[in-house]
Amino acid sequence: MKQFIARRIGYSLLSLLLLSLTIFLFIRLTGDPASLLAEPGASAADIAAIQKKFGLDQPVWYQYIYFMGNLLRGDLGESFYYQTPVLELYLSRLPNSLLLASVAMSFSLLLGIPTGILAAVRVGRFWDTVGKFFALLGLSLPSFLVGLLLILFFSVYLEWLPSSGSGGFLNLLMPAFALGWYFAAAHMRLTRSSMLEVMGSEYIKLARLKGLPEFKVIAKHAFKNALIPVMTLAGINLINMINVAVVVETVFAWPGIGRLLYEGISFRDFPIVQGVVIIGGSMIVAVNLLVDIVYAFVDPRIRLEA
Amino acid sequence: MNHSYRVSRRSMGLGATALLATGGSVRAAPEGQLTFGLHVTLTPQWFDPADTAGIVTPYLFLYGLHDALLKAMPGGNLTPSLAKSWTVSGDGLRYEFVMRDGVRFHNGDAVTAEDAVFSFNRYRGTAAADMKDRVSSVGSPAPGIVRFQLKEPWPDFLTYYSNATGAGWVVPKRYIETVGEDGFRKAPIGAGPYRFVSFKPGVELTMDANEQYWRKSPSIRRIVLTGIPDEATRLAALRRGEIDIAYQITGELARSLQQISGFSVDAAVGSTPFWLYFPDQWDEKSPWHDVRVRRAAAYAIDYDGLNQAVTLGYSHLTGSIFPENFDFFKAQPKPVHDRAKAKQLLAEAGYPDGFDAGFFTCDNSFSSIGEIVLDGLVAAGIRAKLRPLERAAFFKGYGDRKFKDVVMAAAGALGNVPIRMQQFVVKGGTYAYGSYPEIDALFPLQATERDVAKRTALLHRMQDMVQERAMFAPIWQIAATVGIGPRVGNAGLGPIKGYPWAGPYEDLTLKAK
Repeated sequence: MKQFIARRIGYSLLSLLLLSLTIFLFIRLTGDPASLLAEPGASAADIAAIQKKFGLDQPVWYQYIYFMGNLLRGDLGESFYYQTPVLELYLSRLPNSLLLASVAMSFSLLLGIPTGILAAVRVGRFWDTVGKFFALLGLSLPSFLVGLLLILFFSVYLEWLPSSGSGGFLNLLMPAFALGWYFAAAHMRLTRSSMLEVMGSEYIKLARLKGLPEFKVIAKHAFKNALIPVMTLAGINLINMINVAVVVETVFAWPGIGRLLYEGISFRDFPIVQGVVIIGGSMIVAVNLLVDIVYAFVDPRIRLEA
Repeated sequence: MNHSYRVSRRSMGLGATALLATGGSVRAAPEGQLTFGLHVTLTPQWFDPADTAGIVTPYLFLYGLHDALLKAMPGGNLTPSLAKSWTVSGDGLRYEFVMRDGVRFHNGDAVTAEDAVFSFNRYRGTAAADMKDRVSSVGSPAPGIVRFQLKEPWPDFLTYYSNATGAGWVVPKRYIETVGEDGFRKAPIGAGPYRFVSFKPGVELTMDANEQYWRKSPSIRRIVLTGIPDEATRLAALRRGEIDIAYQITGELARSLQQISGFSVDAAVGSTPFWLYFPDQWDEKSPWHDVRVRRAAAYAIDYDGLNQAVTLGYSHLTGSIFPENFDFFKAQPKPVHDRAKAKQLLAEAGYPDGFDAGFFTCDNSFSSIGEIVLDGLVAAGIRAKLRPLERAAFFKGYGDRKFKDVVMAAAGALGNVPIRMQQFVVKGGTYAYGSYPEIDALFPLQATERDVAKRTALLHRMQDMVQERAMFAPIWQIAATVGIGPRVGNAGLGPIKGYPWAGPYEDLTLKAK
């Protein structure tokens, strides 16, 4: 077991190293941030001064080693644009993103799971069609459109909800819905397929043969088992909601990490993009590592196969 | 011999008149809050005059938090502010500014000549190296006096010092030396009409009225500048009363706002002309080498249609690539849309059926404007393909002289006509793909000409030559259309020429309840 855990931790660290290298190189392919930080028509000397200030005049390999050295000390660097440590910026936005992601996730699970169950137990019938239509709509409607429609309806016409910004519970409702909508559809699809798989299994047939009421079969025996993959996906989705809710946070001017990432990309603010991606990636790697270890504890075949 | 500029006296007179107009008595205490919805992402870099880039955006904050010796105001481009007057020596090498008495920073420290000297030396923004290279010394020979000694006469010194850079904006020396650069960035202190209260990076800046402001006490107690990147969301926030002024509400959204009772759309024309540029005009094999083809392109653009569609007719069709508010500007004939004339010119140039014109390259932020302009070109027979590029890539490609065919460009940097000409027109300019020797020959003459009338004549002649050669096809000087909510009294759009934001902040008002 120790060997299994050590190997998994090794893979995780390797993944993070590759992630850091990938994001470091890819963000640099987008071009020179100095040309965005300087005004149009800036002299070559002005641009060179900006490059020097941020260490962009050094060879890329040197920049990477410098970046990794700082990263190992927990320093994600300083934003070019905000001239503030990235970690400070990240932490200042994190509470907003956590709040938004939690509410959006609750909404997506509350909507997605019951719809998925209903579609699975009524497979091929009216409610299944409704569920599939809902999933199709959720996955194909872009969140900026959902966001703008919500603003138009609830803010402008009905005047019930504030259009943007943070501060109160009401500010949270529309961005949480717009963000949760997509994930609700994803959760619905997975719940449906997972439920269908479980409903076809031998122990469900046995439960029915024993004469258990259908509600009990579904709620007690099928649902619990079908929920495992949905919860695993929800965990990963929660991290995505925290870190990459770029469109929703921009449309609703929600001051979260997604908007920070958007600003980082817009201004070629390398430290911000690197920082957000690496923190988000670390969260995903950590969750996966935890899940792997828990699975290995629960199911000995996994660690033996590994 | 010293020249004392009349504008300073006149301005002082105006100040006195304004004081009388307000009753010369104690004004009512500032009240209420005005909230702006901005399209830009707020950065603390803009709160520090030392980091001012050569674009107009930082001035949105500088006009609130800080003050300068001279600055553009409703009275003109070089309105005395922290300096009450200035003089230039007869040889054009020495500039002396007399500081206004009794002005204080927000922390109560007096604004002194030492602060002005410190601010100039600390300045590291656009053109810092160029400016400092031309100044042999800067100091304060006596209390309240700031003296610049130049190496050679430089007629544009005042423009650079007051408008084109942030070097003349004054920060508190003692405070910065005490709290350090980081401390100043986190809690900037200035001498402007509003003092810093709080800042959430990228999200919101809050400022409160500085009732001791020397020009006048602001009438609004608190101003909040909040970033709402999406235009439709800004409009919704305005309609709900969450913000009072929404910047950059354009086209159909602006038109829809006009229909709603209590709301209005107004505009301020900034210093940003747009134009078409023809990089191949110096290539004899290119169709663009023929001046008739370049003129045809100019006739092909539907200026009024574009203006109505995007900025509700507020933009100015100046026919020039130089902003009309810049010193030495010469008005050119208003551009005319005449497709038949465009086709006729193309036929005369040997292209009766038009021609394939390659790429129409533009900054992707303006691709919707580019599409309308390009539609006009294609309808006249100039068949180009739109190639929008991300902003940095666009300016890099433009500056590296990588583009061919047609380029739609715009420039919002502050300055004056010769500064703009140096970048875009004459030989060696950052964005000049070629030049005309007869224009180049006049450039150094005007640069050293200290007689304002003679220099103006030279620069007017140069602008005419640019026009005659159809070196560019100027489109418009774009207006920033702004949505205004029902609580706003004076939104302050337009009094400062070439400034696209609301200002001066101390003049803004809310309607009485």
